[in-house]
Amino acid sequence: MGRLVRNLFFAIVFALPAFSQKATIHAPSSVTAGNPLTITTAGSGSATLYLIGPSHVRKQSIKLGQGVEISGQDLVVSGAYQAVACDSDGCVNAAFQVLPAKPARLAFLLHPSRVPVSTPNAVNGTALVSDRYHNTVLAPAKVDFHLSLGEESSTRSVQTGRGIAWFEMGSRPKQGALQVVASIDNTEEPRVIQQVASEACGLRISAAPAGRLVELQTDPIRDCAGNPLPDGTIVSFTKTDSAGKSTVDTPIKKDKATAQFELSGPAHISVACGVVVGNELTLGGRP
Amino acid sequence: MRKPLRLVRDLLIVLVLLTCDLHVRWSVMHVQAASLPRVFLSAVSLTPRLIEQRTGEAVTHDYAQAWQDLAAALDANRTDLLGDYFTGQAKVRFTQRIKEQSNAGLRTRYQDNGHRVKAVFYSVDGGEMQLEDEAQLEVQVFDGNKLIYTSNSPQKFLVLMTPGSDRWYVRSLESVPDDAF
Repeated sequence: MGRLVRNLFFAIVFALPAFSQKATIHAPSSVTAGNPLTITTAGSGSATLYLIGPSHVRKQSIKLGQGVEISGQDLVVSGAYQAVACDSDGCVNAAFQVLPAKPARLAFLLHPSRVPVSTPNAVNGTALVSDRYHNTVLAPAKVDFHLSLGEESSTRSVQTGRGIAWFEMGSRPKQGALQVVASIDNTEEPRVIQQVASEACGLRISAAPAGRLVELQTDPIRDCAGNPLPDGTIVSFTKTDSAGKSTVDTPIKKDKATAQFELSGPAHISVACGVVVGNELTLGGRP
Repeated sequence: MRKPLRLVRDLLIVLVLLTCDLHVRWSVMHVQAASLPRVFLSAVSLTPRLIEQRTGEAVTHDYAQAWQDLAAALDANRTDLLGDYFTGQAKVRFTQRIKEQSNAGLRTRYQDNGHRVKAVFYSVDGGEMQLEDEAQLEVQVFDGNKLIYTSNSPQKFLVLMTPGSDRWYVRSLESVPDDAF
């Protein structure tokens, strides 16, 4: 009987620490977004596990001493996470980092949407690189910007810094649709800029008098690279005579602009388009 | 003799009223400033575009306001508080966080002790600004009234802000590892 009591006493003494073992929790220091992870716990009895992430919170009952599987779906947002296990004795926690996965998305912003030809530093683009879960990819990656206009094309590669790659360049000399495609791995984002003719170059008018009237017409209006200015661009004809100054604004139609003035004596006629002034004519009389 | 005295009296009254008015305005500004988290913005290494002073002031204010709103939203589990200064992914993610912690019976309290913010990218067209933030946050997470987690260590965030019609919005606010910058 005495031996039985003694053995029972020893059994209780040795077993007690096992029953009262303090809970601990451990997690890997980091995991890639979208991948599962196992949190290990020590101790005994039941507890509550909290997973607290940047955009995700999960609460579940667990058995201490067992591993807890966290699915990849719970770990898609990169950032700092906390795994907290609480039992009747209190709470313990383990921190880990979810890192962005490989580049899979591009947000590409290209400016402006319309630009005159041959303008220095007029075109700029910014590409933001993220993984398939919209996490910014911090590791440097190479973004290719492929530019094409007609048969002319070129590519420039830019390394990202904190997920951003950007470029700035002048517009091409030829008008038309400039396509810029930003790409990384198998992801592409195309954008288009409309390159339009620049300011008029060598603006000239000629006059055809018809009685008291004079018909004015420009030569075909082009920029210095030979691109025709678009129809609708306003050309201003100004007449100065003894009656004063009068101006007619008229849009370009089929590369040319026309106007008609009534003359009363000698007149001085000038033409302008935007900031460009063309030739001047003196009509109708004695110098 | 009386006229100069009256003039001096009127002048004194005007001065007193002006002083009171200015004092009231300063007090309001002081209260407004004191209620926001401290944000110190540095734009020394900013590329490719320089930042104008007023833009810097606006970014600083709006970023501080965003953190104040975030702290209030996480503490009260109110997603509607995120509407004024968050947009895009940042708004989506914090809205989800608030919904899930609310469903789990949790709430998060931030004691915001300030942000050292470095502006590192400002796009040529002025459409995006990227910031690096070293935040001093004391974080407490409660399950009901029980404190389950507390932390008081610096945290780093990578931030993307974009301009709106009258303010700068936080479009992305991601916590990053200590060695990220």
